[in-house]
Amino acid sequence: MSFLTAKDAGLTGCTRCGRVWPEGTADCGRCGARLQPVETRSLQKVWAWWLAGLIFYIPANLMPMLRTATLAGAQENTILGGVIELVAHHNYGVAAIVFFASILIPIGKFLAIGYLALAVGTEARIGNHRHLHLYEVVEFIGRWSMIDVFVVAILSALVRLGFVATVHPGPAAAAFALSVAFTMLSAQSFDPRLIWRGERARNEDP
Amino acid sequence: MTDDPKPAEMAVKPAPDPIWTRLSVVWLVPLLALAVTLGVAWKTYSDRGMLIEIDFADATGLVPGETPLKFREVEVGRVETVGFNEDLSSVRIGVRVHKDVAPYIDAAARFWLVRPQVSAQGISRLDTVLSGTFIEGFWDSTPEGEPAIFTGLDRPPVAPDPSKGTWIELRADDAGGLADGAPVLYRGVTVGRLQNLRLDETGSGVAIDAYIEAPHDQRLSTTTRFWDTSGFKVSVGAGGVNLDVRSLATLVQGGIEFDTYTTGGTVVRNGTPFRLYRSAEDAKGSIFGNDVTDPARYTLLFDDAIQGLERGAKVQFRGVEAGEVTDISIRLRTDSVGTRYAQQQVVISLSPERMGLARDTDTAVVTEFLRAEVEQGLRARIAGVGLLGTTLVVELTDIPDVAPAVMGLDAEPYPTIPTGPASQNDLSASAQGIFTRIEALPIEQVLNSAIRTLDSISAAAESEDIRKMPGELTGLLEELRTLVEGLNAQDAANKTIAAIDGVTEAASSVLVEIEGLGDTLASTDKAAQAVAEMPLGEIGQKIDGILADLRGMLGSEDAAQLPRALSDTLSETAGLLADLRAGGAAEKLNGTLSATQEAASAISGATDRLPALTRKLEDLVTTAEGLVQAYGDRSAFNTEMLNTMRELRRATAAFGSLARMIERNPRAFILGR
Repeated sequence: MSFLTAKDAGLTGCTRCGRVWPEGTADCGRCGARLQPVETRSLQKVWAWWLAGLIFYIPANLMPMLRTATLAGAQENTILGGVIELVAHHNYGVAAIVFFASILIPIGKFLAIGYLALAVGTEARIGNHRHLHLYEVVEFIGRWSMIDVFVVAILSALVRLGFVATVHPGPAAAAFALSVAFTMLSAQSFDPRLIWRGERARNEDP
Repeated sequence: MTDDPKPAEMAVKPAPDPIWTRLSVVWLVPLLALAVTLGVAWKTYSDRGMLIEIDFADATGLVPGETPLKFREVEVGRVETVGFNEDLSSVRIGVRVHKDVAPYIDAAARFWLVRPQVSAQGISRLDTVLSGTFIEGFWDSTPEGEPAIFTGLDRPPVAPDPSKGTWIELRADDAGGLADGAPVLYRGVTVGRLQNLRLDETGSGVAIDAYIEAPHDQRLSTTTRFWDTSGFKVSVGAGGVNLDVRSLATLVQGGIEFDTYTTGGTVVRNGTPFRLYRSAEDAKGSIFGNDVTDPARYTLLFDDAIQGLERGAKVQFRGVEAGEVTDISIRLRTDSVGTRYAQQQVVISLSPERMGLARDTDTAVVTEFLRAEVEQGLRARIAGVGLLGTTLVVELTDIPDVAPAVMGLDAEPYPTIPTGPASQNDLSASAQGIFTRIEALPIEQVLNSAIRTLDSISAAAESEDIRKMPGELTGLLEELRTLVEGLNAQDAANKTIAAIDGVTEAASSVLVEIEGLGDTLASTDKAAQAVAEMPLGEIGQKIDGILADLRGMLGSEDAAQLPRALSDTLSETAGLLADLRAGGAAEKLNGTLSATQEAASAISGATDRLPALTRKLEDLVTTAEGLVQAYGDRSAFNTEMLNTMRELRRATAAFGSLARMIERNPRAFILGR
């Protein structure tokens, strides 16, 4: 199975409407969008956002996510600490959701984006479609990581019972939100057309 | 045809792509993120504060990571670790203290645990029920050094901030109705609190810390006295029942009040000990001031009965109140012969301050001081004070010419002070005073007046008027003779015996009267004064006149007949006496005298008849007055004679003194010797 990529044909596809134009055309004649040449240089952005997201992911896990003040005293929980506490209280379902949304997904995203970015140009012929699926899943699921941040935001907005109980977002909430946002940007700045760049090399190396 | 030279084909290469042009600006984002994260990390690390360690006896309610350390109710740190010290004798709490507060935590810092307390006075620190125990700390506002390990207090301090008042220590025998948190009142205003009620070091009493708040602590001085106002006081008196309740708070949790009665105290420093009295009266009246150390005690042993001496009786040191009697008991002793005898053992406590020694003088020093005094004649004795001499005190005073004695320094339980005989009481002292007054009477002057009176009498006897007297006098004597005969006829002898019985009774009543000597002496005193004020001179002159007249009378012819009449009378009297003797009067008299006690019943009858005799005499006097009336009022003789007669009547009244004489020597009366 062989492909003819736009690059191989000396064309550049419009990312908005999909029509191809000869290389060097500045703007899409149909929809007016600026034509972006497919360049490995765009991977820089991916890596930059990815790194920024990773940097913020560290304090997001080390610092407290929630500050809960009740009559019995104040409590601060990190993400993982919260999960462990939920397990200790036998709330396995909630613990699983939090663990999945706040720990597995972000880490999975880092790994997925890193893998995709590293695989550009060196990837095996087979599996391009899988890469595309992976990319689509990452893009789709990325926003769900924000569920943790939303929970914190809603809790701190709702639980304001004066001295009885109050919930404040900890510094980790902001860091986590930034981390998620950066990984989303990272996933977005990945040009899926690069997934197919490796085809030419395969075609040229019979 | 020219060949246009073509320019050489240019080698077209893409322009060298410097690395910075290929770098995306997005790279700034992770750099920024790294910077921010590192910055936050560094700030967190540098702000995490200093770790101090506090040792507590137990760690009830302390949770690592949760229990806060508070300063003035503001959280300044958090318990990080809970462990033990090296020998497991106490709990060592690691507390992470905020960086900006840490420098102030120095050696003066104090830490204690705040827990909810539910007691009779109410509930305190209820907030800690929900928030949990926390550590409270207090330190001053000067940053000095930073010792890493502290020892926590067992209980919260009286007042967290000692600069806002003064705390003192009160000592009492027992806590009475006092409790932690009870108010300290000054003139009814709450100015402080009691705290840390505890047994003192020796266990012989209790100690309480009292904290007096700032503006009011100026009322304190070292002479201030504290007393217990716990509970209520009911007194029943002429005004009805009086219920005194200081305040509801003192009723529930007790309370103390203080006041300063004397000046001269110095400023009170923190921790100064004071004595806590049971009542305001005690506080005012006590002579021991605020001595909290046990006063020096001594034992006195008295051989005589000390009836009337009570616990709490005063002890006077050379007239100055210097202590009190703390115990009275009996001690059995065995003398050298082996006979057991009882001695009154009186324990006294003495205030060194009142004896001129320093306030906190050691007991040994006081004893040494007394030992020296005893060598110079100091003795203890019982003395009566007060109006009637009924209030007994112990006197420590110098007794002159006393046998040498020493203190029993080794005696148990307290050293003994030698005792002297009880001092004489007030009654004898006042009797002495009366005699001194009598001694001061102008007896010499009176005697001189008497001599002059006698001279005047002799002069008066030579007067004309008196010379006319004998005739009348003879008549008078006739009258007397008939009277005596009348007496004779009326069985006078028996009456006389009865009279003598009466006299005996009178004598015994005189004896009874002697019991009321005090009063008698007082009247004697007054009488002596009256005598001193009597116009003796005038009386003397009057007597002068009488005597002069008498002398004149005696020189007359009629006077010559007087002796005969007298001798008749005397013979009559002799006859009477013979009758008396014949009537066995002598034996009766003797019997009467020997059985004086039995005679008492016969008295009343005799006393009834005595007035009859007196009436006779009165009649006589009346007759004499009539006689004198016959003279008219032409001469002074009338009055003088009248006076003489009245004297005679008075003489009858003076029968009592005669009776006394008879009592003493009846034989002399009867036999005329």
